[in-house]
Amino acid sequence: MEQFPPLSVLWIREGPSTKEKRENPGDLLQGTLDLLILKALARGSMHGYGVAEWIHQTSEDVLKVEEGALYPALHRLELRGLLSAEWGISDNNRRAKYYSLTAAGRKQLAQETEFWRRMSGAVARILQTA
Amino acid sequence: MFSEWVNETWLRVKGLWKRPQLDRDLNDEVAFHLAMREEKNRRAGIVGEEAHYAARRQFGNATSLKERSREMWTFVSIESLWQDLRYAVRMLLKNPAFTAVAVITLALGIGANTAIFSVINGVLLTPLPCKNPQQIVAMKQNDSLMNVIDIQRQMRSFSQGGGINTEDMDYTSGPEPVRIRAALVDAGFLETLGIPPMLGRILSPEDDVKGGPQLVVVSYSFWQDFLSSDPHAIGKTIALGGNDYNVIGVMPAAFALPREHADVFVSLWVGYPEAAPFRGVHFMHTYWRLNPGVSLTQARAEMSTIDRRLAEQYPDTERGRQKIFLPLHELVAGNVRPALLVLFGAVVFVLLIACANFAGLLVARAAARRQELVIRAALGAGKARLIRQALTESLLLSIIGGLVGLLLANWGTRLLLSLKPAALERFNGLQMDSRVLLFVFGVSVLTGIIFGIAPAWSVARADFATSIKEGGRSTTAGPSGNLLRKSLVTAEFALALVLLVGAGLLIKGFSHLRSVNPGFNPQGVMTMRLQLPATRYAEIPPQTQFRRAVLTRLNSLPGAQAAMVTDIPLGGVYIAHRIVIDGQPVPIGAEPQVQTLSVMGDYFHVMQIPIRAGRDFTPTDREGQPLVAIVNEQFVKEFFPRSNPIGARIDWIRAPHPPLWMTIVGVAADVRHSGLNQPVEPAVYAPFSQSDEPWRRWMTLAIRTSGPAPGLLDQVKQHVWNVDRQIPLSDVHSLVELMAVSLDQERFNMSLLGIFAALALILATVGVYGLMAYTVSQRTHEIGVRVAVGAQRHDVLSLVVREGAKLAFIGIAIGIAAAFVLTRLMASLLFAVKPTDPATFAGVAILLAVVALAACYIPARRATRIDPLVALRYD
Repeated sequence: MEQFPPLSVLWIREGPSTKEKRENPGDLLQGTLDLLILKALARGSMHGYGVAEWIHQTSEDVLKVEEGALYPALHRLELRGLLSAEWGISDNNRRAKYYSLTAAGRKQLAQETEFWRRMSGAVARILQTA
Repeated sequence: MFSEWVNETWLRVKGLWKRPQLDRDLNDEVAFHLAMREEKNRRAGIVGEEAHYAARRQFGNATSLKERSREMWTFVSIESLWQDLRYAVRMLLKNPAFTAVAVITLALGIGANTAIFSVINGVLLTPLPCKNPQQIVAMKQNDSLMNVIDIQRQMRSFSQGGGINTEDMDYTSGPEPVRIRAALVDAGFLETLGIPPMLGRILSPEDDVKGGPQLVVVSYSFWQDFLSSDPHAIGKTIALGGNDYNVIGVMPAAFALPREHADVFVSLWVGYPEAAPFRGVHFMHTYWRLNPGVSLTQARAEMSTIDRRLAEQYPDTERGRQKIFLPLHELVAGNVRPALLVLFGAVVFVLLIACANFAGLLVARAAARRQELVIRAALGAGKARLIRQALTESLLLSIIGGLVGLLLANWGTRLLLSLKPAALERFNGLQMDSRVLLFVFGVSVLTGIIFGIAPAWSVARADFATSIKEGGRSTTAGPSGNLLRKSLVTAEFALALVLLVGAGLLIKGFSHLRSVNPGFNPQGVMTMRLQLPATRYAEIPPQTQFRRAVLTRLNSLPGAQAAMVTDIPLGGVYIAHRIVIDGQPVPIGAEPQVQTLSVMGDYFHVMQIPIRAGRDFTPTDREGQPLVAIVNEQFVKEFFPRSNPIGARIDWIRAPHPPLWMTIVGVAADVRHSGLNQPVEPAVYAPFSQSDEPWRRWMTLAIRTSGPAPGLLDQVKQHVWNVDRQIPLSDVHSLVELMAVSLDQERFNMSLLGIFAALALILATVGVYGLMAYTVSQRTHEIGVRVAVGAQRHDVLSLVVREGAKLAFIGIAIGIAAAFVLTRLMASLLFAVKPTDPATFAGVAILLAVVALAACYIPARRATRIDPLVALRYD
């Protein structure tokens, strides 16, 4: 039942080491995953599975996230203070960890969104001129 | 940015102790995700197991993700340090023998070294309690006040200078008469040392004149004991030696004299006007402060011109006197310096041996664990991780050893000080030196680091595949590790031999010293000092009357024989006079100097000093009768080498009088007056009653009892006080005690070096034993093969013993060569033993060899018990 992604470049993975990642904050792919998470949580608190599902559905399965990679990213954002987390009970009565945006997270989301807008606009213009 | 960092660090720190919680949360989170995904997969129509596996596939490598999150949440380095530490502790506990030996080795090394270093440091390097002590020089010879005044006036090298003579005085303002020590000084003395008084003032030049006011500066302890720490003590009157003195100053507690002890300070002109004007009374220790920029050499040169001038002006007393200056510190510490330096050397050797042993242990252990390290490396442990693990272990050992060493050091320093050799007594501020401890600790930690890392380093660089393959059958850790250990053991033996030879020489010298005949029989003799106050005993007749009365009473005690002498042998002091011998003219200034002892009663009989020729004194040798003297054998040897001294006439030199010839009536056996290891000097004994020196107002009682005499002291006191109620008794000793005290310094040297040598021997033995035991265990397989092909018990035995013995013998040979060179340095500490004494060298070499063989024999015997069947299956 594997679904192969049409755009392999957006096959989002975590790099070999988080430490290395954090030393390169401008990394496109990681930034992308972070942005997706922040965006997912902008609508309210959600557990990790919910975030994964939301990315699948809203990107109409175009963006395929290796689901496990979500968690180090979530934890990293939590450590950076962009997310807060608390344990709660899920709809089906399971213990689950719910993440939500903090004020800093909201600000970060706004900045990142703006950055992406400008970036994709620029890329689109470049592609049109070609 | 910063607040983010703080927040993150805080979460991580929380993560450290919430570790189990964190793990559970991570697991739960992942499990929840998987469960949800599996459920969805099922709803999508995937059946059975497949739903589960699909969920897992979609998730990816859960373990590695969890690990990454975990890393994020905590400090990995701290966690792995903790892990290393726990592992290290487990390993150390698993090998208690190894751990104990390593810790003891280090602790002994650190403890002993710190204790000794502290004492040496204190004695050789600690400044004396005076202002700018490096500017102060002391004259090696004593001098008279008149000369001090001339030098003060003429020397340009010195800014200040002064002299001190201490003597006993009676303090009679208290309920009982008390003997105290008075310093007779000139005004320059306290000024030169430069410590200001705590209360009041010190003596001024105006006070320090003939007929000056009777003023006294007191020490802190005197102020405490006799003036009850009265802050208004200044202006009080106290009675000293029968005179009233006005207290003008109190010195601070930190003030101490360089060589002397004194409770009170009075002007020499005031306290002892009889002696002050005599240029020939060379009885003051003098101290001088160099002007800034003036070197000792310059001062010495200037002094020699002044010496010449004095000798021309006052040939009677000053000719042939050459004054030599020494830095104050050298003078004070000078006589203990050689002993301390030898001990210092011993300490360094023990430290080296301890470190070598520790290093050997680490190398052996690393070799034994090489297999483990190689496997860990092959499984992916990084080089850094392996080294960190090894380092953690050896550092842990170093630290434990250091802590135990700290206890030993503390205890050892106190032990050393409690042995209290007289020479160390004035350095009362000695204590364990923390800088020294840090240094020694640092050395052992460094050893731990170097020899702890090296094996891990070599493993980290090694080719794993070969190592693992070879591991099973290899006999040892490879030739290099073994060579290192062997060299360490050899070096230990060489060092131990040097120490043992040193200790052996001292022990031999000490036993020589103990068997020296002091010249008298110390058993059962009690001694004590009496001093008559100048006020009531200024002239000879009352002194003689007092002495006779005391002796008559004491001799009436049952079983007691009493006599008196000016200064008792081994008491540390005597009076020396220059003499002329009738018929042996010598140029003025070249008259020989002899010990002069006044006696009363049956002194030679009481002390059991044999009379070799002529006769003893008799009761008729008294005032009004012909003057008589008894000389010692050394006197005869020097002045009458070929003629009969009996009947010859001698006299003290003194310019103004006509000769007062004393006739020599007897020759007494030599007595070691100044100490058992000091040469005998020519001595003249004369009766107190015929003395014409009224300043000899002191005397030492010698009382021999046939058996133990409890209560004797009280009886003596009563009898003395029946004669004169105001005479204090002091310096009560038995002669046996004085004998023991005179050996203190030597006993101290010997015991310390002996302890070090024993330590060295133990450490070296442990070293060779450890090496051989380890070699045997490593060669179990090989030995098994040898036995299987027919090697006999003694073949195996000699195989092992020979290997260990070879190392020990090489070490012993090197040690002998080194000792041959090094023991010269301790020649000055040896009494009647040559530093290259062949018997000591041979004895020590044999001792070490035997010990080494014994240490090898135990593992060798174990080797003979190896069962070839078991051994061949061993790996």
